[in-house]
Amino acid sequence: MSAADETPDMERHQNSVMRTPLNSVAVQRRSKNKSYRLSYRNRIGAASRLGLTPGLTARRLNTSRKAPKSNKITVTTEQLTLLVKTEWKLSYVTPLYRFRHTQLKIYSRQLSAFIAAEKQQGLAVDVEGTQNTFRVSFSLVLGMTESVDDAVTVHIQIHSKPLFAKQDEPQKPVWSGWLTCINGNPEYLRSLPKDFICLPLFCSSGAGGLTSLVKSWFQQSFDCCFGPLEISHTSLQWLMALWTNCQSESSIRQLKMIWTLPVEPQLQVTYTVDAEDAWELWSSVRKKNTAGEGEENSIDIEEVMSFMQGLKAHFFRHFRLDLSAGSLNEVSTALGSAKHSGMIKFSNSKYMITTLMLLTECALLKMPI
Amino acid sequence: MAAQLNLSGPPNSDLSSLTDQSVSSRTSNRSLRVAEKERRKNEAEDPSVLALKYFSDVEAGTPVIGNDDVERNLVLVEKVAYRNGLSPEAISIMLEFAMSLRMGHSLCPRVLKCLIPVTVVPQEAVVRAVAWLGVDKIPVSTQVLFIKWVLTVFDMIDAKDQLRAIYGFIFSFVSEENLCPFICHLLYLLTTKQIVRVFRVRKLLELQSKLGRQPFLLNLLSLYKVFCPELVTLSIPSRSKSVFKNHNMPWKSALIAVQKRNGSQVASSISLASASKDRTNRRKRKHHHLELPVLSSVVNKEPQTETSRRLVPLVQIQSVAELLENMDHIELPAQMGSLLGSSLALQYLDCVQDESALLRLNFWLGYALHEELLFCGDGGASQNSEESLQFLDKLLSTQHFLQEGFSSSEAFLYKFLNVWDGSLLRPQILGLLSNIPVVPSSQIGRLLFEPLMQLFFTSSVFFKCGLIECLNNMLLKWLTWHSVYALEDDLDISLNSHTSINMTLSGFKDSVMELVDFVGRLASIGLQLEGCHCLLLSCILDFYTMVCDMFLKYGLPLVVMPPSGVFYPALFATDPVSVDRLAFIMYRYKVNLTSAKSQEKLTEQAFHISRQTFREFNYYTVYMVNCLWNSKMFQPGTGVQLGEELLLKSNVPQYWTSFDLVHHPAFMSYAVDFHQKCWIGKKDIDLDSIKHQKPWSWYLQYLFSQGYDGLKLFVQSNIKAGQGDGQQGDGQGDRQQGDSLPT
Repeated sequence: MSAADETPDMERHQNSVMRTPLNSVAVQRRSKNKSYRLSYRNRIGAASRLGLTPGLTARRLNTSRKAPKSNKITVTTEQLTLLVKTEWKLSYVTPLYRFRHTQLKIYSRQLSAFIAAEKQQGLAVDVEGTQNTFRVSFSLVLGMTESVDDAVTVHIQIHSKPLFAKQDEPQKPVWSGWLTCINGNPEYLRSLPKDFICLPLFCSSGAGGLTSLVKSWFQQSFDCCFGPLEISHTSLQWLMALWTNCQSESSIRQLKMIWTLPVEPQLQVTYTVDAEDAWELWSSVRKKNTAGEGEENSIDIEEVMSFMQGLKAHFFRHFRLDLSAGSLNEVSTALGSAKHSGMIKFSNSKYMITTLMLLTECALLKMPI
Repeated sequence: MAAQLNLSGPPNSDLSSLTDQSVSSRTSNRSLRVAEKERRKNEAEDPSVLALKYFSDVEAGTPVIGNDDVERNLVLVEKVAYRNGLSPEAISIMLEFAMSLRMGHSLCPRVLKCLIPVTVVPQEAVVRAVAWLGVDKIPVSTQVLFIKWVLTVFDMIDAKDQLRAIYGFIFSFVSEENLCPFICHLLYLLTTKQIVRVFRVRKLLELQSKLGRQPFLLNLLSLYKVFCPELVTLSIPSRSKSVFKNHNMPWKSALIAVQKRNGSQVASSISLASASKDRTNRRKRKHHHLELPVLSSVVNKEPQTETSRRLVPLVQIQSVAELLENMDHIELPAQMGSLLGSSLALQYLDCVQDESALLRLNFWLGYALHEELLFCGDGGASQNSEESLQFLDKLLSTQHFLQEGFSSSEAFLYKFLNVWDGSLLRPQILGLLSNIPVVPSSQIGRLLFEPLMQLFFTSSVFFKCGLIECLNNMLLKWLTWHSVYALEDDLDISLNSHTSINMTLSGFKDSVMELVDFVGRLASIGLQLEGCHCLLLSCILDFYTMVCDMFLKYGLPLVVMPPSGVFYPALFATDPVSVDRLAFIMYRYKVNLTSAKSQEKLTEQAFHISRQTFREFNYYTVYMVNCLWNSKMFQPGTGVQLGEELLLKSNVPQYWTSFDLVHHPAFMSYAVDFHQKCWIGKKDIDLDSIKHQKPWSWYLQYLFSQGYDGLKLFVQSNIKAGQGDGQQGDGQGDRQQGDSLPT
């Protein structure tokens, strides 16, 4: 069970089985530590022939995390508006080789030339030229970090003129995306050689064609790989708890879940809980905060599971339907929404960081080494 | 004949010195003429020399029409050219004659067409002819013909430096529409990194906007992109073949014919393909994680590396010779995964020491493996198994070439083994598994043995055989690796500073021990489960053939005996081959132990072989000798003990002889055969009669002659000579090995 949770697809297979919530948290991953290939000293003196050794210790998804605070992030409102209220498609990215935060201007030019060249296969494009139909702008999102090891978030926007635009019509944004790392595992980040910049979470929004062009430009320029990032069952449950926990400070209005049950024909259940009721249930399962004064208020996986258990029990009492047999596909509150397929939307910038921390963790778990 | 020789090659020293002069030091036209005069003295009577002289001396403006001299001389030259080719100086003269339009342009194409070189084309002549292009009197069709000729003989031009020097001049012809395709091809052949400049890129882009996407422009631009990716961006449609058209060259067949006649092979690469990749027509798929990236150079160069030394992008390297030449200043490609796609790049990968580069490669490889086989976003790997198969095969052959596994494939396997069904891509997965480097003994159980054990006991006998073979290969690689590095480092196995997990000799021994024990456990139970399946037994004996020689062959001071679950099934096997192999293994154990013991006495840093190992070995040997030789199968104190009354109840007559060399089911047929040969005509067979002294030794000879060398070695090393009597000898099978070895 624990090993199976590594792959989202395994999760799907198991939906018909009653899940033991506590076991399903055990998302394992072998972290890469600083070690190299075990090897006797070789003649030249470099033991690592073909790369780093996969670390031999297993790591799991955190079983405890800080309660979200409405922390004041220092990002400018202009940039924040670019990030919130858009539904983002998530991907994970392996570390970028020789990415320089100082060369964003050059990257903008190169990417726009690349898109132009790809759009018109077989036509060479001058990199220095500016007469491209696509204008790309890279920018830094300063202030959106949680720890010192996090690399600065990079935002990319592509502007273009509509096909039948008037001469003087301004270019409109047609695609945007960003690469981020919020509170990434310091052990992992520090283990990378300094040539690598780790921005494991990639959010994109816009035409799929442009997304894949941006991805392939990144692949060719920084020797990285992009893979889809789903939000696992456990992560969705975490998000529910984290968001509900905010109710005291900022109303979540309602807690909405969409479940799919494995019956023929497939049954989809939309389960909406009033904010107050959800808060009451959440408060009842919260353990006494044993932490002393001034210490971080933390949430434990057991609390999340009891919360879920409570919600499921309530549903069962009314409809005689055990949701444990189904799978949670979608969660939404006034603070944001998340889908199993890897879509996320932040509706309130205040609690964004907490969500991003969880997603960064998920992205890092997907790293091949 | 002499005349032809003169034209096609230097027949005497006089001429050869002339050729040298004209070719290497590139004398001026004038000195050529001086030389020509000299030659006239010697070869005045030679008609073709006279013909050449005619063309070099003919006055400008001489009429062509009605001029019999021209016709006669040209026919002479043509005859020689088409039969044997023209010598370098003849090419110079004729090219100069044609391009200078001394007799107008009507003869020009005809002369160009017969310019078939026998050896090389002097660069100087080509440069001069290109200069004539600028004079602007030559008809376009003739200009095209000339460039085509240069393209054809390009590989035969003796040097290219001066041609590169006038690159700019040649480049200026691209704007001439008719010449453009051929000029582009010529430029393609001449381009170096220094030549690629912004203004040239601009000019070509401008042409492109005028002419549309022409393949010749595209090819030249893509070469520019290879050299200076920061100046031009281009994506080549997967369908288009970016190779210059092999224009219908009038010289090609003549050139080949001449070369064939002269027995030389100069212009082997007339059709020069561009450096573009040959994309196989891949089936369209949703995901591309298994596609190897294209080898391309880095766009964003690091400034400091550029100043320190000149780096050569790997893309530009075309041969092993070039690779060796530039070995210490090669620029790695933009995507490390692309190295797997080219055999030349693999050669280089073997020398890459850059940690980041290997990490990049591992990230890519790990990503591809994970996405394809673990995450399988779109419903399982089975649908793309063809691609997966090819990919894994490629990976395997790469690892085989490098004689090492990638750490990302190792990390992948540790995860994959937990979800593997044991049949998906079995040969490939087992192949990858056998490349896993030494795993510390503390982790080996969790990472390898637990998942493998589950697979082993739930899979078919063929999987069992496959797994044993795989673990056998794994052990072989570990041992080889040990013997190589231990020898190199003079058994100094302290690890360098890079390594954080210390693999000491004892650590390595522990891992090997764990692996051997694990296979021992699998083998014992596997043989039981499969009823001593003979294929499985054979795989297991393969494994122990290696294990028994670990000390002598691989220098690892470790001796591990097989468990009884392997020993007895092999000893009582119904096929003689298994028994023979067991005998061989026991013989090798003996040799190893003896040598280890003597070494232990000699050297101070003696290693310790436990008393238990010697005891086990002695015990097995004694048992084997007793069983096969002494017909004392159920001696008290041996491992296989059965109650006396139980044995009597079985009604087997003389049960103690059941597994001697005569009655052993594996050898019974030999005994019968021997009996028939020995006592011809004797109707009733009495196998016991073989056991008498004479027939016994004959019987042994007979068995050994059937190819049972293992048995032979075992008998020779364990049974003292002269004690051949199986029936009476009671101590002859005694171990030579002292069983009271110091611990």
